[in-house]
Amino acid sequence: MEKAMDVEMEREGGGEEGEEETESVSDVLRDRFRLSTISIAEAEAKRNGMEISEPIVACISDLAFKYAEQLAKDLELFAQHASRKIVKMEDVILSAHRNEHLATSLRSLCDDLKAKEPQSERKRKKTPRKENKATTSVVHIPDN
Amino acid sequence: MEDENNTFDPDLIHAIFKLVWTRRALERERNNVADALDCEVGAGTSKKNRQTSANGKAIKLSCELLRIFITEAVQRAATISEAEGASKIEATHLERILPQLLLDF
Repeated sequence: MEKAMDVEMEREGGGEEGEEETESVSDVLRDRFRLSTISIAEAEAKRNGMEISEPIVACISDLAFKYAEQLAKDLELFAQHASRKIVKMEDVILSAHRNEHLATSLRSLCDDLKAKEPQSERKRKKTPRKENKATTSVVHIPDN
Repeated sequence: MEDENNTFDPDLIHAIFKLVWTRRALERERNNVADALDCEVGAGTSKKNRQTSANGKAIKLSCELLRIFITEAVQRAATISEAEGASKIEATHLERILPQLLLDF
């Protein structure tokens, strides 16, 4: 009970205490991120017939996390520049524009995702509104 | 099979992105508070501060980008350590590939 009160007090306290809270949230995310990195890095090392020492994985994970944060900033700015509030795939591709190989492989992946889209989109909750209107008004989709 | 196991969880990446965006939105808000108090524009600023969000596919693509970053790091380090005849990737190997890796991403 007392703890709950404290949290409430802190929330009312203003922005600075709120920041502490987001910091703990970011720690949790960072840990989850690190776990995923470890499995990716170790699988990749195994595929190359190599072992990888733990501090190196941790280091790569930190790098990747920083990269992710930077990526988030970039994506937001790109979307804003296109006067959008929603980040789209083209923004992600744009963020890799310095590396042509990376951009091309992302673009082909983007095409793959687009190709998959029609089936998976109906299942997903967050469908774009336009599509929603179109599909809800016509329940039966004729297969030609 | 391998691919499915070894990608980032899109929700996780989305959560990280959201965190960065809220942090930035808060900063912006704080900077705007001073101005907003002066020129009493309520609607305009709230519209401006509405938070960025992301398309599901864009998140998936970002997951892939991050995965590529990690696999590239490991692969390049593995190449170096192989050339040196080591069987384990150590700090020196990562150090060698790091500058170019960071330039490439």
